[in-house]
Amino acid sequence: MRHKQKTVIAAIVTVLWLGVLLAACSSNSSAPSAGNQPAQTEPPKSGTSATEGEGSGGVTYPIQTDVTLTYWLELTGNLVGVKASHDEVPFFQELQKRTGVPLKFISVPNGKAKENLNVMLASGDYPDLIEYNFLDFPGGPEKAISDGYILKLNDLIDKHAPNLKKYLQEHPEIDKMVKTDNGNYFAFPFIRGDDYLRVYQGPIIRKDWLDDLGLPVPETIDEWYTTLKAFKEQKGAAAPFAQVGVPRPFNELGNGAFVGAFGVTRDFYLEDGKVKFGPMEPGYKEFLATFRKWYEEGLIDKNIATIDMKAMDANFSTGATGATVQNTGAGIGRWQPLLAEKDPKALLVAAPYPVLNKGDRPFYGQKDQPFSPGGMVAISASSKHPELAAQMLDYGYSPEGHMFYNFGIEGVSYTMEGDYPKYTELLLKNPDGLAPAQVFSQYTRANYNGPFVQDRRYIEQYLVLDTQREALEVWSQTDVDKHKLPPVTPTPEESTEFAKIKTDLDTLVDEMTLKIILGTEPVDSFENYVEKMKSINIDRAIEIMQAALDRFNKR
Amino acid sequence: MAKNTPVEPLPSVPVRRSSFSARFIRDFALNKHLYLMMIPVIAYYFIFHYAPMYGAVIAFKEYSPARGILGSEWVGFAHFNDFFTSYYFWRILKNTVIISLLTLCFEFPTPIILALLINEVRNQVFKRTVQTITYMPYFISLVVICGMIKDFTNAGGIINNLFTYLGYDGNAMLQKPELFRPIYVLSEIWQRIGWESIIYIAALMSIDPEQYEAARMDGANRLQQMWYITLPGILPVIVIMFILRMGNLLNVGFEKIILLYNPAIYETADVISSFVYRKGLLEFGWSYSSAVGLFNSVINLMLLIAANYISRKVNDTSLW
Amino acid sequence: MKKSANISDALFDTVIYVLLLLLVAVTLYPLIYVAFASVSEAGRLVEHKGFLFKPLGFSLEAYKSVFDNKAILIGYRNTFFILAAGVTINLLMTSLGAYVLSRKNVMWNRFFIFFILFTMFFSGGLIPMYLVVRGVGLLDSLWSTIIPFAVNTFNLIIMRTAFMAIPVELEESAKMDGASHFTILFRIILPLSMPVIAVMILYYAVEKWNGWFYASIFIKNRDLFPLQLALREILIANSTENMTTGADNADRFQIGETIKYATIMVATVPILCVYPFVQKYFVKGVMIGALKG
Repeated sequence: MRHKQKTVIAAIVTVLWLGVLLAACSSNSSAPSAGNQPAQTEPPKSGTSATEGEGSGGVTYPIQTDVTLTYWLELTGNLVGVKASHDEVPFFQELQKRTGVPLKFISVPNGKAKENLNVMLASGDYPDLIEYNFLDFPGGPEKAISDGYILKLNDLIDKHAPNLKKYLQEHPEIDKMVKTDNGNYFAFPFIRGDDYLRVYQGPIIRKDWLDDLGLPVPETIDEWYTTLKAFKEQKGAAAPFAQVGVPRPFNELGNGAFVGAFGVTRDFYLEDGKVKFGPMEPGYKEFLATFRKWYEEGLIDKNIATIDMKAMDANFSTGATGATVQNTGAGIGRWQPLLAEKDPKALLVAAPYPVLNKGDRPFYGQKDQPFSPGGMVAISASSKHPELAAQMLDYGYSPEGHMFYNFGIEGVSYTMEGDYPKYTELLLKNPDGLAPAQVFSQYTRANYNGPFVQDRRYIEQYLVLDTQREALEVWSQTDVDKHKLPPVTPTPEESTEFAKIKTDLDTLVDEMTLKIILGTEPVDSFENYVEKMKSINIDRAIEIMQAALDRFNKR
Repeated sequence: MAKNTPVEPLPSVPVRRSSFSARFIRDFALNKHLYLMMIPVIAYYFIFHYAPMYGAVIAFKEYSPARGILGSEWVGFAHFNDFFTSYYFWRILKNTVIISLLTLCFEFPTPIILALLINEVRNQVFKRTVQTITYMPYFISLVVICGMIKDFTNAGGIINNLFTYLGYDGNAMLQKPELFRPIYVLSEIWQRIGWESIIYIAALMSIDPEQYEAARMDGANRLQQMWYITLPGILPVIVIMFILRMGNLLNVGFEKIILLYNPAIYETADVISSFVYRKGLLEFGWSYSSAVGLFNSVINLMLLIAANYISRKVNDTSLW
Repeated sequence: MKKSANISDALFDTVIYVLLLLLVAVTLYPLIYVAFASVSEAGRLVEHKGFLFKPLGFSLEAYKSVFDNKAILIGYRNTFFILAAGVTINLLMTSLGAYVLSRKNVMWNRFFIFFILFTMFFSGGLIPMYLVVRGVGLLDSLWSTIIPFAVNTFNLIIMRTAFMAIPVELEESAKMDGASHFTILFRIILPLSMPVIAVMILYYAVEKWNGWFYASIFIKNRDLFPLQLALREILIANSTENMTTGADNADRFQIGETIKYATIMVATVPILCVYPFVQKYFVKGVMIGALKG
């Protein structure tokens, strides 16, 4: 019995200590791997990667190597349910063949990149290539480099990525964007290679209704008022103007539609080199007053605060709504066929961004930065083959690589008609009934992003309807270039402070916007709100943005 | 000293030697098999709950994924400070507490009432049917449920129309701050009443039918039987559930709030978890949400201890 | 005397039946909505607002989309395994714990309870959890969703409460006959607690059935994805919110809605069937016989 007692005690003690050991061991494994920071500033020491071709000049593809690189990336939503992993995707199979570098893929479930990145970093199992939006990394890309996680790429690009180097030299504005404030390159970027690719959102309106009513496409705020009124009274539209309310109320107005007519935006913007915050400015008050009037008169959907995409679908297909602000794809592309099924005459077209006075040029509009957050690929600091990685990634920026990433395989996914690469029926009218988005993503990366420069000839064909293509032209006619902030980054210390202010600020702005427009509070409460903004420290936030802007301009 | 005397259930004779080690050894002799049985459970908690607990320090650090938790920079109470000095701190705290208390007050009793009602049903088929159907909303995805709620309460929606007929002004109900809490609580009842009644129904099974017989002979009607027999019979379960609920007071889950709210009703709908969620969208913020979580946990734990203490004094059901 | 008792009884009964019927109508509706929506024609569903009392047209397109995906069958297989192995372990561990914690005069019990309750409030977060799971070698295996979740504290407390309600006399008479703790637990306590055990099975089964988050972190091998994870991917991929640019034909947008409902049906109906099975264990007065006999 005594012996049994002892065994029991011993057992308990052992288990407890086991647990402690486990904890100690597992927590230690994360620290050293982060602590072993190879020097990032000197060229990587691993000399075992066998790369043929001239040393610092161009490399000939396919590269002769038997080194396999590990590639960590999310599986695009377009392929979910179609392919189980990147190994099965024709594009990636062909990519390995063309570059000559075998790749081992770590496929991250769609939408789960953030959690998986954290977990991957903590585990210490680092791949060679990481495709992730490092602008979103806490503290910014500069921190990712200085914390020893990804490599500073300046030397690598200089010596082993001649194609990218050439592109950046030819496009200094883009070069500025893809560097950090300290002048470090941190990833092989995804670039929208043409202005045409950067605009895709704006006001949309039912042309057939306009024709029936004998009205032109509205350009000024007053014209919009008359038009919406006519929609309501003569077309029986219960919600002539509707807008998605999530994640923020009047969501797409954040890109400048309607608000811009009053010379402001809903967020930070530039005026003569100075950073300003829209909701503080008197122009915003006028915008609120205008929309409030429209709401009162029933020109705006009564349920405006709760609308989501599903409600918008219902609104359009039942003829309750005649105008909104949306994307060419998610808006025109989606609702046009829906409407056409019920009413063959229905036609959705793009309307220009509204202005106050006829003939003015719109103050602001939607336009993505050429350096787009998705699709960038970094090389991890613990990779043993950084030059090979750089060379492999550089392929995307070479002439054949450019065609491959954008259009796929000649003869399979596209054919050349003269100089113009035309997508084949396999992609546009897939015999297995797959949606274009799904097939495009199997053979190209044009429709979701990646380490390459996007070609405008992709979107010219991807957009099926004429109205969609015309929309891009119409929506590009704005002064957004003069007023949009470039992609500035606050310093790591400032960014925590900024984030705190911003959350409180966005909450306040959204509340103010809705309450005044819905009529819950009078327009004159605007000044009150501005006072509140000041107590939330909006001035400090503007300061931070201004400093970031000044640093950006000096890059 | 540790003689292997035959084990006795309850020492009703005061023991002379009351030193700790003596009690310890006696207790061990008495209960060693129990302790043996407990080993797997304790080991489980140790390995999977206590071993990872060091991660809670992330609330006091500026977390950098590359440096890991232990290697990240120490910032002390900076995140807590951020949270407490937020412009909206008092508002979100107030909303969280109010919504929680309202739910406790109105939603908590409903499964109990349902269990009592079901218990009274004689017809087995009806009984089974009611049980099976009433718990279904719990399983339907929250996105669908909230979609329905919005649909019904929007201008032109069924519930909205009903109230408009009775004099309501017809605006979307989820755009009015004063209507959010009732809508939230009522929909909680809708979703949870069936599921949460299950445990009470199970508890009802253990009540001796003879007690009912006796009561009926004394002339008690159904309502009285319910009050004097059934309810006390499941009181221990009710109390425990109540205490556990108190320990969750600050945990108003954000998923449903986010699906139902919008800035027009932030003043009553924005709670701690939804606010932190919006903040998390702006930056990685694991440290911040960890800090807030820690704050929540501390308050919840204190509430639990208080509830348990009061319960122990008032009746003899308590967690410890 | 008897007559008025009957009338008051009858009134009582009527009130109850009416209330319950109302409740049933209101709680049945969501399922009906989802069921009908899932077999409706996509186009008509999109424009519909308000109540749905019958399907709008009839189309099995959505189900076809969902089942075409072989990941679903793999998901079902994996989830059934997780259920079987997981719930068994859950019951074993929870019973052991509840039994010990419900005994009187066990010196360490107070400490244990606090030790366990504490974990309901404080946890280290995802990353240390990941490291521990990796450390014990469970990564990329179905067991990673079972072992780290072997005991749910809330359930443990409920079971303990139930065990504490069993009269001490039964236990004592067994002890006098020389029964060991294991015998007491398995031959006396458990059989008398059948309703609570049934509830535990239900609770744990639902927990396991609905789980996807940890699987998405611990499991990389797609062959081991549980059902909910596979379904979520389909849902997200077809989510109407996700389609932002380009030439996707309208059909794909529309069917996204019906797919959502079909997915919910596929994800929910099986687990809804568990409760009816488990109900037969809700038997009254099992214990009474034990006392008398």
